[in-house]
Amino acid sequence: MMPDIGQVGEGQKMQPWAPVPEAPAVMLDHVSKWYGQVIGLNDVSLAISGGVTGVLGMNGAGKSTLLKIIVGRLRPSQGQIRLFGTDPFKNPAPYHRLGYVSESEKLYDWMTGLDFVTTLARLYGMTRDEARARALHVLDFVGLSDVVHKEIGKYSKGMRQRVKIAHALVNDPDLIILDEPLAGCDPLARTTIMNVVRELGAMGKTVLVTSHILSEIERITEQIVILHNGRLLALGNLHAIRELLDHVPHRILLRTSDPRELGRAFLPHPDVYGVRFPNPDELIIETNNLASVHKDLPRIIVDCGVSVTAIENPDDNLESLLGYLMEGRA
Amino acid sequence: MMQTPPPTEPNQPLESAPAAPAPGAPKRSLSETVWTKLDRKATAIAEFTMRQYRKKRSTWAVGIIGILLVSLVLLFYIEAMAQDMPSIDQDGDSEDKDGDGYPAGQEALYGTSDENPWDHPPDSVVPDPPSKWIDEDDIDWDGSNTRSQGEDDDGDCWALEPWERDSNGDGIPCNVLYVWDNGTLVDIKRDNGVDEDPDDAVFLKEAVHRSFLLGFGKFGYLFVIGIFIPLFLATGLIRDEHEAGTLHYLVGKPIARAEVLMYRLLGFIGLVWPYLFVLIFGTALVTGFFGPGEAIYRFSDLGIWFGVFIAACLTVLAYAAIFAAFGIITPKYGVLLALLFASWEFVMIFLSMFETTRNLGIASLSVSFWGAEIINSTAWLVWDDHALLAQQAEAFGWIGEAALFSVWLSPFPTVYPLVNLAVSIVVLLVLTALFVLIGQSSFKKREID
Repeated sequence: MMPDIGQVGEGQKMQPWAPVPEAPAVMLDHVSKWYGQVIGLNDVSLAISGGVTGVLGMNGAGKSTLLKIIVGRLRPSQGQIRLFGTDPFKNPAPYHRLGYVSESEKLYDWMTGLDFVTTLARLYGMTRDEARARALHVLDFVGLSDVVHKEIGKYSKGMRQRVKIAHALVNDPDLIILDEPLAGCDPLARTTIMNVVRELGAMGKTVLVTSHILSEIERITEQIVILHNGRLLALGNLHAIRELLDHVPHRILLRTSDPRELGRAFLPHPDVYGVRFPNPDELIIETNNLASVHKDLPRIIVDCGVSVTAIENPDDNLESLLGYLMEGRA
Repeated sequence: MMQTPPPTEPNQPLESAPAAPAPGAPKRSLSETVWTKLDRKATAIAEFTMRQYRKKRSTWAVGIIGILLVSLVLLFYIEAMAQDMPSIDQDGDSEDKDGDGYPAGQEALYGTSDENPWDHPPDSVVPDPPSKWIDEDDIDWDGSNTRSQGEDDDGDCWALEPWERDSNGDGIPCNVLYVWDNGTLVDIKRDNGVDEDPDDAVFLKEAVHRSFLLGFGKFGYLFVIGIFIPLFLATGLIRDEHEAGTLHYLVGKPIARAEVLMYRLLGFIGLVWPYLFVLIFGTALVTGFFGPGEAIYRFSDLGIWFGVFIAACLTVLAYAAIFAAFGIITPKYGVLLALLFASWEFVMIFLSMFETTRNLGIASLSVSFWGAEIINSTAWLVWDDHALLAQQAEAFGWIGEAALFSVWLSPFPTVYPLVNLAVSIVVLLVLTALFVLIGQSSFKKREID
């Protein structure tokens, strides 16, 4: 999935900008960024073209820094960044093909949604009419067609996120960068946005989405980049990483009326090596093979005959994934 | 892990959208050149900037305060114009020192003495009222030829001894000598007793009116309004967007940052120039109708107001570029820097308002100086009767001179007003361009975190 960085070649000379078809949408070559003594991004090399890529990392891992460098808001302290083969900090030309949704919640609250998207569309050189038509179209695409004439100040959080996404799509970009697009959204807006992102990926566009929530990214894409403390920790297919993860000690939490009875039923399973009862209504199963236990889980519960109100994987989150990857490295 | 089908689907695929103009599309009609695209971006940002101003309370506050200030000053002006100016007897010939009932001027006409009560014109001559000998030797100050320029109306020159009648030394007794330089009247030298008692009310009103036009143009429009509008409205052109966290919407587009600054400035002047036009046009109306003179409206002053308008527009633009650059260079201290600069300008405008301090040259290191020179030069071009007024002012002594010539300065740096006008305009434009470039280069390097 990840194109080889080497194909771009090092030390490209700055040329008058022309779209370079073979250049990857995003190419970082040993990029580092310091804020004074603090390191924001540490020697990241990366090339991305096509499809949706999730950028995962805890708060402060360097996700926003990475995206800001990609869109030319920040200049790398070291290394090189190329957007379609061009340095975005020096030359705004690749912005023709870029749509960027920042994590900032600031918008021009006094404008209507249509106004906002139309005005910014005109900055691509569209006429008023073109811009308006495009704006109406993308607002419809993100499901805001009912509120296009409403002031953004009166929008809900989910609507605000979506109007930001709409503005980023107005130039029909080839590369779309979304910084925490799901943050603070209600479930409905979340689902709509996820669908929009998937749809964009299906259209063959290159999409970068950041999140610190693994399950969100999982619902959007399989292709991920994991950042930790400014370093590129892993990149590749999420399922492959997850499969590795499945074979390390893992817990399954069941909320049930009779934890002891249910625990007894699980103990004979070959992949279960222990059970615990942290609370009177909770059972924790410890396993080395998550997938195998999950496969047998419904049958064992039905056979046992006790009622189960919830099944959770407390280890199925980014922290555990990071923990595993870090250990794997060490 | 994958979830159930989502409740809302994207409504339609993006491909069916009206196509955005493709970058580098090979076929381009004439209406699709680089320039038209630049145009569109420029108008989009300028328009957006103007709309943003309209939404800000500070814009309205500054605008309303400006209108109030101008209205207040105009009320004072109208009041001053409605007052009767006192008549002064410059040559003292309305007095009757010997108490014989005949004023000195009348006695001089008949060759009698005003020192001796028994020596007076024949009894058949009715004594003149003293007022007849006040303002009796007037000057044709407005070029209308309704007054006798260069004639000894009261005969006191001819009453002098013959060798005293040609004090200007041109060989002609009791006349005035016009000194021309390249077609411009630069001085009027009069013989003693000629045109020595002009009409005070007319002169004073004219002098006050002209001082007001120049003084208000320079101090009111160039300094007070000219500096405060950019101080409040232009310092934040880029800085405010940066601080509000919305700058990336403008710079994350295929526009060079340098252009963003320029188009923001364009939006600023798109708002402020029409505002200045309304203010100055209103002032021109008031001073034209209430100003001195026989005519209903003083069309002759329109040129001055045009000069004030040009000066104010260019000054405001230069200040805007400077303050916007300050805001970019140091977002935190931009306003402080702008205030310091404004104080500098404050001192400089005072220096440039008096001929001696102006000619020191230090004031030329300010924006307001060159704005003031535009107004000066315009005054020289529009009012070609400077020498006449100078002649009258001389008759009035220091009051007359102070009223007018503290604001009506000689041309600078050259003696040709048209050259000065061009030089001043060019200097202001160069200053503007310089600070736009400084702002741009700082903006280009700025990271938007």
